[in-house]
Amino acid sequence: MVNSTNDRRDFLKAVALGSAAVAGAAAGVLGIPAARAQDRYKMAFIQFMPHTVPAAWSKGIEEVLKPQQVIDYELLDGQGKPEVQVSLMETLISQGVSVIFLQPVDSVALAPSIAKAKRAGISVITLNIDATEAHAAHVEMNHYFGAMDIAKAMGDAMGGKGKVAILNAPPGIIIRDQRTNGFVEGLKAHHPGIEIVADQAADWDRKKAQDVLATILAAHPDLGGAYGVNDSMALGAVDVAKEKGLLGKFVVFGNDGETAALESIEAGELTGTQYTDVFQQGRLAAAAATVLATGGVSATAFGQQSRLLMPYVIATRDNVASIQPSARW
Amino acid sequence: MSLRSSRPRAGRFSLPAWAAISFVAALFFDRFADVKVRLGSAALVLFFAGTLAFFSVSAPRFATASTVENLMSGYAFAAVLAMGQAWPILVRGIDLSIGAIVGLVGMIVFDMSLIFAVPGYLVLPLALLAGLLAGGLNGVLVVYLRLQPFIATLATLAAYRGLTYSISGRQLVPGLTTTPIRDPWITGIESYYDVGGWLGLSRLINMPWFPLSFFIMLAVFVVLHWLLTATRFGRDTYATGGNAEAARLAGIRVGRVTIAAYAISGLCAAIAALIMVARFTTATEALGAGMELTAIAAAVIGGVSLAGGVGAMFGPVIGAFLLGAILIGLTLQGVPQFVQQIITGAILLAAVGNDRLLVLRRQRRLEMAASRVET
Repeated sequence: MVNSTNDRRDFLKAVALGSAAVAGAAAGVLGIPAARAQDRYKMAFIQFMPHTVPAAWSKGIEEVLKPQQVIDYELLDGQGKPEVQVSLMETLISQGVSVIFLQPVDSVALAPSIAKAKRAGISVITLNIDATEAHAAHVEMNHYFGAMDIAKAMGDAMGGKGKVAILNAPPGIIIRDQRTNGFVEGLKAHHPGIEIVADQAADWDRKKAQDVLATILAAHPDLGGAYGVNDSMALGAVDVAKEKGLLGKFVVFGNDGETAALESIEAGELTGTQYTDVFQQGRLAAAAATVLATGGVSATAFGQQSRLLMPYVIATRDNVASIQPSARW
Repeated sequence: MSLRSSRPRAGRFSLPAWAAISFVAALFFDRFADVKVRLGSAALVLFFAGTLAFFSVSAPRFATASTVENLMSGYAFAAVLAMGQAWPILVRGIDLSIGAIVGLVGMIVFDMSLIFAVPGYLVLPLALLAGLLAGGLNGVLVVYLRLQPFIATLATLAAYRGLTYSISGRQLVPGLTTTPIRDPWITGIESYYDVGGWLGLSRLINMPWFPLSFFIMLAVFVVLHWLLTATRFGRDTYATGGNAEAARLAGIRVGRVTIAAYAISGLCAAIAALIMVARFTTATEALGAGMELTAIAAAVIGGVSLAGGVGAMFGPVIGAFLLGAILIGLTLQGVPQFVQQIITGAILLAAVGNDRLLVLRRQRRLEMAASRVET
């Protein structure tokens, strides 16, 4: 039974291939371009919410997709809400796009719609935040090990002792945990003499970070440094240090490596940050997407999800000049 | 019986089918409309049908079975929230806390299911009870502490959201952030039915599969509509919203009616939370954030007067799906999202303006009637 089905399938495949070959030959004779089968591909990126990082990814993605001339690309905003992202996913699925780039609001909440996309043959490539449903590829900043290196560099700058505060993201997002746990583990491993006296949410936001750090400083006047889980919050800490005249004495580290942070390091304000070439991260995702789409690789063809960790630099005053202007985002 | 968890479908869903559905929907919902609001409802249904027709012509792949399916599955919970929100507005109040109640109930479901392994058939009623109580507390604050509904529910918005964070199983038990809820009683809410196949319609046109959440929305509609139009409680609700003092003098227990209205709103938020948790197989701390605004917009667009005492249940439903159709249609057209928000705002403004106009006209009519009595 199984055999006869297989035989029939093989026969049908042979017929299909044969006729395709004949049609292809005919097309060649008649001068019809082979790309006729699918003229244009559509791809879209659903971001978490507007921020420098997804904006830079989008630019990197566009840099690769535009020159192909057969790919339409658009950036969609998830507004930080799973229901918005899921609705956008479903709209893209019914539009029949080739590839969806996704920065999920939540790893689990987007999993059912990733499964839905897969069933429709659409490849999903996640950026920074992985999903629990296996998909085509995941391209991620090296959050955990980068944060460990930040802890090491920060401890070095503080002379191996003192008190630090963490300006954190609101709970519930994986990268928050990775960037926090990596930092905590890094301090334990390299600088056990440094004590974390506060860990408070400042909602990724510069203004909020100013308020939060000012409060922490009131409780701990001998605070030696602050780690912002992203650069915006670290820059908020720099603002506070400036205002209180602590600049130079107060060690501040960020994470991401956006232009404003690098400039702050050059100005001698921010101590350092983990820098990732986010343009490159977008380009890598787009390159993979192009191969999948134009190569006709179906989303169901993957046995296993591929995963790419981005290289990074701990940028400080010593090496920040080596980061090229074209790689600053 | 064919049942599937969820499968995207492509294919043409023809324009005449859209028109037919809009027409049938109009006839169906118009039967439920009060005479006072029937004219307004006809305009709303026409606007809805016009919007669908516009996008069917102008937006690529809008008039397809899969778009209808996305609209139903993506906005059924918004319609439930809007129907719930209509009750506090009917008694001349407002409920800003429903988004936070969605978050709270979602987290309660998450905790019960993943930490305590409570079976789904117990989780569902307990979740509904939690929503009912959270809504009822809003009503108690409004009635017994005589707080402005806006202030009272703004306070509970913050309190419920804070409570959600503090009971979050995602933080109490770290591994749960990446653990989906697999209880079939809960995930079963996200099921789709081949209604077109059963009715034999699929042979004629490409029919969407209907999500269970859509039928839940219809059930909520039938019950709430019955409650509002066929029971004493419904008449009392209208009377309380129309003129609370007159209602009190007429022997209506205004306080009780008000508390019940907020409790219904909370219950609807819990139903919406269950639909969303089933859809996402998880709950986040921020679940439902900002959803109160969508619900209020849908209710007001649906003809529920912010001045209280005027409105029906069908309006918020159409209002919610109208907002959904506009967002999906504009996305398919490739219109940037900030433009979509501007358009949504403009429609809301038009709806509020229209409401205001009707209120003024009603007042003038009453004044004229009063002056006629005097002379």
